[in-house]
Amino acid sequence: MIKRLIVLLTLVLLAVVFSDLLLNYIESPVLSPLGSYYAANGPAELGAANLVTSVIVTYRGLDTLGEVTVLFISAAGVGLLLGRREAATDVAEPRKPASEIVQSAAQLLMPLVFLFGVYVFINGHLTPGGGFQGGAIIASGILLLLLAQPSASISRRLIGITESLSGFSYVVVGVLGVILAGGFLDNRIMALGEFGSLFSAGAIPIIYILIGLKVGAELGSVLDRFRSAGTGDQ
Amino acid sequence: MLDLLGSLIVLIGSFFLFSAGLGVLRMPDSYNRIQTGTKASTLGAILVLVGLAVLHPAWTWKLLMLIFFVLLTNPVSSHALARAAHSIHVGEAASTVIDRLEESEARDLSQEQK
Repeated sequence: MIKRLIVLLTLVLLAVVFSDLLLNYIESPVLSPLGSYYAANGPAELGAANLVTSVIVTYRGLDTLGEVTVLFISAAGVGLLLGRREAATDVAEPRKPASEIVQSAAQLLMPLVFLFGVYVFINGHLTPGGGFQGGAIIASGILLLLLAQPSASISRRLIGITESLSGFSYVVVGVLGVILAGGFLDNRIMALGEFGSLFSAGAIPIIYILIGLKVGAELGSVLDRFRSAGTGDQ
Repeated sequence: MLDLLGSLIVLIGSFFLFSAGLGVLRMPDSYNRIQTGTKASTLGAILVLVGLAVLHPAWTWKLLMLIFFVLLTNPVSSHALARAAHSIHVGEAASTVIDRLEESEARDLSQEQK
């Protein structure tokens, strides 16, 4: 009873706090100066058909590097926490195998899922989506593999190398921007190409491929860690 | 005319999606909910996509790929969910009469013991 009352009180308080925001919100009819600059000059300056991508990868590229770092730190934290537990309890009970339906479907779907993930991050400068989304799709393919074959071994070394190499190359591309073009992570180190075609927008596709690989590897390793921790726990 | 036909197919599809949602709310146990959620939503999604293909013929190939994907993933995922629920002994509704998976597992076990 008391618990319910507290929950109710909290809800009412939250409603009071946020109602002001909701009632007095007026959508600004004009873009902010920065936003209108991006909208007016983005396509011509950076050559990416997807304006969101040119903001994320180039104009605010440093923030994106920060996001990738945050993801890396959380993946490393999961590895640290679960890796220790796994070492403590090493006796794993054999798992119930997945059903035949799931196994056959996974064989059919896995290549498609990976292909779709790669498609999403390669076309990040043209269509909605990009490195983070593509990487998450690739990680969902890894999850499918783990569901179909719970005892499948995933090479941690391969994942580690993919992740480190793509992260390192991302920074190298950024530094090349300082040397060859206007600043850190400037995409104009390569020709901008024809607007709207696959090979366009300078270094943006390359950066998104690297981000996609890195995010896919990181999320994949997190899933793999949880799987191992699960078997260690039984 | 074609617009009307396409919209009609989308409408029928959304009816099935609605009944899927209703089924998830109304059905007595997890297995029944999974069952309605899958069957009706698969048909509903396919009908919506077919209706879109009639409305926008240029998208047909992409929509066909989506239909293929829905057909492949929806039944398999709900199969896996139902199996997982069964293996951790999620209870079934009192009106359940037959549990073939339980029977076949019991049979496998007794064969192993012989």
